[in-house]
Amino acid sequence: MSELEADKLVDGTLAWRAPPVPPRRRRLATALANAWHELRKSRTASIGAVMLVLLFGACIATPWIATHDPIKQNYRARLAPPSEQHLLGTDRLGRDIYSRLLYGGRRLVTIAVVAVALSLLIGVPFGVLTGYFGGLADTIGMRIVDGLLAFPGLLLYLLFVTVAQAWKFEGFMVDVVLVGALAFAGMPEKARLARGSVLAEKQKEYVEASRAMGDSSFCIALAQVLPNIVSPLIVTATVRFGFVILIVAALSFLGLGTPPPTPDWGSDLSAARDYMETHPLIAAFPGLAICYTVLAFNLFGDGLRDILDPRLAER
Amino acid sequence: MLAYTLRRIAQLVPVLLLLSVAVFGFVEALPGSIVDTLVGTEGGDIEEARKILEKEYGLDQPVYVRYAKWLYRAVQFDFGKSLVTRRPISFELLSRIPATVYLAVVGISLSMLIAIPLGTFAAVRRNSGVDYTAQVSSLAGISIPEFWFAILCVLLFSLYLGWLPSSGYVSPFEDFWGSLQFLILPAAAIGFRQAAFTTRLTRSSMLDELSKEYVDTARSMGLPERRVIFRYTLRNAMIPTITISGLQLANLLGGTVVLESIFAWPGIGRAIFEAILQRDYPLIQAGVLVLGCIVVVMNLLVDLTYRLLNPRVKFA
Amino acid sequence: MNDKTRNRGVEATRREFLKATTVLAGTALAGLPGTAMAGKKHPKRGGTLRFGTRDDSVALDTHRNIIYFVSHPLTGITGGLVDFDDKMQPKPAVAESWDSSSDLMTWTFKLRRGAEYHNGQTIDAESVKWNVERIKDPKTSHAFTRSVLSDVERVTVDDKQTVRFHLKEPHAALDINLVYYPVNLMAPGAVDTADTHPVNCGPFKFKSWRRFDVCELVRFENFWETDSEGNSLPYLDGLVGRPKKEDRVRLTGLRTGELDLIDNVAYADAPAFKKDHGRTFDTWPVPQVGTAMMYFNLKNGLLSEKDNPDAHLLRQAIAHAIDHEGIHQAVFNGLGEISRGFYSSASPWHSKDIESWPKFDPDKAKALRKKAKGGDEKFSIIANDSFPYMQQSGELVHAMLKDAGFNAVLEILPGPVMLEKQGKGDYHIDSTANSYRLDPDGWFSRNILSTAPENRRRNGYKNEKADQIILAARKERDPAKRRLMYADVETLVNRDLPILYTHFVPLMMASNRARVKGYNVSYSGPWSYTGAGMRRTWIDG
Repeated sequence: MSELEADKLVDGTLAWRAPPVPPRRRRLATALANAWHELRKSRTASIGAVMLVLLFGACIATPWIATHDPIKQNYRARLAPPSEQHLLGTDRLGRDIYSRLLYGGRRLVTIAVVAVALSLLIGVPFGVLTGYFGGLADTIGMRIVDGLLAFPGLLLYLLFVTVAQAWKFEGFMVDVVLVGALAFAGMPEKARLARGSVLAEKQKEYVEASRAMGDSSFCIALAQVLPNIVSPLIVTATVRFGFVILIVAALSFLGLGTPPPTPDWGSDLSAARDYMETHPLIAAFPGLAICYTVLAFNLFGDGLRDILDPRLAER
Repeated sequence: MLAYTLRRIAQLVPVLLLLSVAVFGFVEALPGSIVDTLVGTEGGDIEEARKILEKEYGLDQPVYVRYAKWLYRAVQFDFGKSLVTRRPISFELLSRIPATVYLAVVGISLSMLIAIPLGTFAAVRRNSGVDYTAQVSSLAGISIPEFWFAILCVLLFSLYLGWLPSSGYVSPFEDFWGSLQFLILPAAAIGFRQAAFTTRLTRSSMLDELSKEYVDTARSMGLPERRVIFRYTLRNAMIPTITISGLQLANLLGGTVVLESIFAWPGIGRAIFEAILQRDYPLIQAGVLVLGCIVVVMNLLVDLTYRLLNPRVKFA
Repeated sequence: MNDKTRNRGVEATRREFLKATTVLAGTALAGLPGTAMAGKKHPKRGGTLRFGTRDDSVALDTHRNIIYFVSHPLTGITGGLVDFDDKMQPKPAVAESWDSSSDLMTWTFKLRRGAEYHNGQTIDAESVKWNVERIKDPKTSHAFTRSVLSDVERVTVDDKQTVRFHLKEPHAALDINLVYYPVNLMAPGAVDTADTHPVNCGPFKFKSWRRFDVCELVRFENFWETDSEGNSLPYLDGLVGRPKKEDRVRLTGLRTGELDLIDNVAYADAPAFKKDHGRTFDTWPVPQVGTAMMYFNLKNGLLSEKDNPDAHLLRQAIAHAIDHEGIHQAVFNGLGEISRGFYSSASPWHSKDIESWPKFDPDKAKALRKKAKGGDEKFSIIANDSFPYMQQSGELVHAMLKDAGFNAVLEILPGPVMLEKQGKGDYHIDSTANSYRLDPDGWFSRNILSTAPENRRRNGYKNEKADQIILAARKERDPAKRRLMYADVETLVNRDLPILYTHFVPLMMASNRARVKGYNVSYSGPWSYTGAGMRRTWIDG
């Protein structure tokens, strides 16, 4: 994403002030009710929220609702149609598609959430720091961000994942690498966003004031700026979830995704290509699962944007 | 404006330098060596052959020497030869960039053709059925994994309906109309996808514009709604849409790998991807750098246009 | 190779072909009935065949090409001294006849008169010598091609038509080995354009190549081969190669008529395609492409006797854990056959006198694993990412080993990393395959013989008895005896288990029946050779 997009999002929320913070006791109790009330302002957001709740519910309940071991193969019962025993049938190696979808989803959603959270954790302080200190730190920081953004399309992921093959990771660590690449590549957009906000905030008097009172400068920066960028960050993050899931799928298609037998929607869909004509259902299930998830995150994100964007709100 | 432009151009130098270091670093860190592939595995003289090749390609020198030499030649646009095809890198790149640019430009244009009317309509009829339909259908574009969508398109439009060729490429300079029928499917796959972003953007900037005072003024002056929307608001709302599309275009240059390999489209993304797999070092380095240059320059141009068109943005 | 009659090829010179063609054209013009018009359609010249392949070539210089240069469209430009037929016997090509000395140390090739390179340069003995020397030079060639000539000490020129190969060691199969990883002849005068516009001597001339997109070839009018009526071959005006990586798209291209011939019909599609579309499309199972196998690392680590006294027990446990039938079904979709040795039943070198590898027996596998030292350690299985069947075999073996209680990990890696891991011995099991070893010496001398560089680099197997047999077989002229000798080696391999053969790699090609005529797939695909493949293909309509 570019400076412009970030600018725009920042533009949109600079005027917006966080409402006064209620006492802590009441906060939690009313939070959910408030959230739901807010969400209902946007139909897209409420649909997205319901879809997400179902998704997360399935992810959490996976060990209880899955019927089979997702990696246990039975090549004597391969390509079976849906039945009582295998709710969605079996894949090319006779693995239970239903259970693979559940476990794969659990993994994929975790990867997406951690990757996005991590990109926020790196990107926001990075942007805040460079913006706050300005001068050389800002110049260097922003050039690094520009350099990362200059890798077009998938190339940064491709290089990152290929280099990571040297580290001989397996199982869980492969996911960690994937998360690292996704977080790393998602960081510049958040850094830009944070920096823009800091630059705007820096001009304001209260920052000067709190500095005069002896607060350490980084804390000031973070504390003052965060509330202002929370809403654009939430919006970019939810949209980013969907993006991350699609990137993982694209990497699987290119052969750089999760190595088998780990359940993975992208790899499963990619491997099911061969059977698209003879056994179309095998490809349909992981494909639809990806669609559902990406759609859920995006609907939710879009709806949030409508709710949080003050210009769009009361009209 | 001029000072700002010059400063931005000056800032490109460290960015590109950083990019070149990053690419060189990545390539250096790639596991496995192309020399193993080129030398082969059979025969008793492998070590000898390896030394010969390492010397020929300068791989026996320390990394900083190689970087310095490569940079020295790269600034003169001499990227050397591909280690795999042994043809000049400039040939390998120049023969492939046009195909990708063609695909990306048409794809983005298509996305704007879909997205601008859809986004505008959704904004004007906010919270109506049209709005929701527009939002959800534009989201469908980014919800489907690209390769799955592309293959489904091939099966539907080529195999079952027989309307379009399944894959391939004809240069528009050789046969413009002929090239279009090969272009439709991949460009539609891109357009459908990018339209999702663009529709949302158009919708939100349109809403933004519609809330401005001049719209109310214009309306109160009795101007027809149609005219208000098309003459004034849409024109202003277009600015971010067009600029963002410019950025998407630059980003697409390395982002069409998947479509290129499905539609047998001889573009640059696939070339770099295969070079990464084969460890064709000079091709990776030059390819990423050249695409990076395009992206950076595009970003600059887009920023400058944006600032020109939108005087509210200060020249910070 | 003393059988002179075998070496007498089509003797007509180019001038005679032309004469024959003119006569035939004359008869046609005179309105006389064609010779073979009744019943079968008569081949006719002209037409361009569009060939869709999964992969594309990587470079143009045939001496340096780093990948299999046998099945791509670009292979149409290549040609060499010797051809082979569908029985894998050497047949005359640029060399009209040849002979070997009684000690098998000198091979003499008589070149065909009038044979030319694509640029009109005559293929004379000097140019053959130049080619051999260029291939032998590590600076300019790839090790695979070079290894064919590693036993050649030097080449001498007797006269314009006679070239003599002097060997370091006796070799009974030099002629067929010259086809195997072909010693392709390139015009010496055109060496400067080898990477951009190759000039060779095959049935087609190079026209253009855009990587991952298209390659165009046109008929070489002065190609040496003729059909039985004396018409010059090939019939096709040209050939357009279209690499289309995606299996589904390639098959769609064939079905919509955009392509005439495709390779690599996905295993998942093959049976259904044949059943549903057998009326409009011909399918061609390529007799033998390669043999898939599990390579064990005997150089170091758990499966090596050097580091683990129970290594052989472990390898047996692994072999007992592997269900070949599962691989046959799940990877190859029931196509092809399970392998117990390197040569499939399509090969004249196939032998039934081989003792099989340990049979699938999960309980025995578990027991052996528990008994053997190191049975609880971690095993790494590696597989090359560019061949789906290698990955999928790896996937299955991984699961089968897990079922037997092994702690196995699977890694799917690109070629360069595979080479590095093999070289360093950084793996336990490699799910791999080998192909295009026409003569068994090509397989055993490279991968089983303990002194062979490839064996030492990758596998480290050493069995003195096997070594003795392999070396003796090189000096044996009688094919029947040689076959028995190699069967003994296979038995040793299946007992010692440096390698576990799994399956022969089937490959299915498909063509548009209405358009593509006369095509008959040969041993290794579209190009090989006498009496088959693309040279005799013609286009109807």
